[in-house]
Amino acid sequence: MSSPSRTEILGLFRSLLKTARKFPDYNIREYMKRRTIDGFRQNSKLTDAPSVSSAFLDANSQLEVAKRQAVVYTLYAPPIKSVMEIKSTS
Amino acid sequence: MSSSLRRTTSISKTIAPALTHLKTLIQPYSATAVALESSTSTAYNEEEPGAISMKGVKISGRPLYLDMQATSPVDPRVLDAMLPYFVSHYGNPHSRTHLYGWESEQAVERAREQVAASINASPKEIVFTSGATESNNISVKGFMRFHKESKRHVITTQTEHKCVLDSCRHLQQQGFDVTYLPVGSDGLVKLSDLEAAIRPDTGLVSIMTVNNEIGVVQPMAEIGQICKKHGIVLHTDAAQALGKIPVDVQEIGVGLMSLSAHKIYGPKGVGALYIRRRPRVRVEPQMSGGGQERGLRSGTVPTPLAVGMGAACEVAVKEMEYDSKHVQVLQQRLLNGIRSRLDGVVINGSEEHRYWGNLNLSFAYVEGESLLMGLKEVAVSSGSACTSASLEPSYVLRALGVDEDMAHTSIRFGMGRFTTEEEIDRAVELTVNQVEKLREMSPLYEMVKDGIDIKSIQWAQH
Repeated sequence: MSSPSRTEILGLFRSLLKTARKFPDYNIREYMKRRTIDGFRQNSKLTDAPSVSSAFLDANSQLEVAKRQAVVYTLYAPPIKSVMEIKSTS
Repeated sequence: MSSSLRRTTSISKTIAPALTHLKTLIQPYSATAVALESSTSTAYNEEEPGAISMKGVKISGRPLYLDMQATSPVDPRVLDAMLPYFVSHYGNPHSRTHLYGWESEQAVERAREQVAASINASPKEIVFTSGATESNNISVKGFMRFHKESKRHVITTQTEHKCVLDSCRHLQQQGFDVTYLPVGSDGLVKLSDLEAAIRPDTGLVSIMTVNNEIGVVQPMAEIGQICKKHGIVLHTDAAQALGKIPVDVQEIGVGLMSLSAHKIYGPKGVGALYIRRRPRVRVEPQMSGGGQERGLRSGTVPTPLAVGMGAACEVAVKEMEYDSKHVQVLQQRLLNGIRSRLDGVVINGSEEHRYWGNLNLSFAYVEGESLLMGLKEVAVSSGSACTSASLEPSYVLRALGVDEDMAHTSIRFGMGRFTTEEEIDRAVELTVNQVEKLREMSPLYEMVKDGIDIKSIQWAQH
């Protein structure tokens, strides 16, 4: 399998962050954003084609999982948000 | 994972908002869903829309969760692995005659491999149970009962989990001898105490790897060596250690290990027991029945839960390095934040030999219950969930030699994979404000500030 292009990698990065925003749960959303950024930053150091391809495929399958779970979490989102998302009055 | 599962690989933009709209239209069918709806709707305060009022406490939103030792949220990746086994692949893994059973069994065996890989064991050495409590029961009671002719003595520590201590008490009632090793003020067990307690008829040593209340990590490798030297089986409760610090059954040399899924972002209701095969460890089963799980634990293995545990173990191993770095940063932030603004803060347990995600602090001159009442926007606990029903200060802190008044004001902050730095900052803010407010009201603190030594006061007796 040929190595993914720079456009494809950036596209995957943007999709992951976009999917992260869809989670109604504050903790999952923040974790997914942080993990994506840190993961791509760490893997940017990879140079050989096989490991780049496998990292790309791994991230792609994680994106599929995240898309499904964003729907599930939205269906069961609690009506009250976390205190972190509510403007603090004190 | 089975590739025969059909999945819609692209959730189009039109479906998700439509589903959200559907959610508001669909009436919940099950009784529990109706109960949940009605309980949350009556909990809403009429004057302030969006507030929760429960048990006399009013909070504006869901508290930030800092109680990871009690339980942890299920990781979305784990939930994704479990859902097919609730929805369509619902067979009993012990049914040998049809596809439903075959695919269920395949999933359970795959989960078993994932759990075994996370602790460097063979899948044949993993038995699924209902949780670490059941695994501890099988390890302590089952092992000693099997060897009751030759082995009559068990060694454990004073800081073990309640299920181990209760199992030991049960054994004592049946005529076995149990030695409860003391721990130092840092929470660590002394190896010399362990060696001195060993008798010719000692069968089992049970010491937990990471303590759930204070987060202290015991020197398991050295303990394993001592046990191996004397030919005694070592059991460890690794429920809090799995996926957080490296756990290797070959390195430690354990014969029995208890694991729990809901501490590593997996589902509640499932755990595992590692039972060594070489040299073989024999236990008497505590659950009688159809002989499932090699006759060691009868009962249908809950496929979705076992799959969830396997997925949680796999994710935990993959993310262990990243998570532990993150949690270390969080602990430093929490500790520095609190210590820079408050004095009289004591960490319970060793500062070096600990897991970063568990911080148990005592605040001097502050009453514990009132501190917790003021921290309703932070979900923390004082001591362990198992003992919080009684008014007694935690037995773990008492074993550490902590004074009664300091034991009462202990708060356990539990951080994990999903905790953010902003949550830590907010928790620091709330804790410091509450402690300062309470200390301002405290006459004891005033006396301390004036330089009076509290312990030297002769309280007047009427």
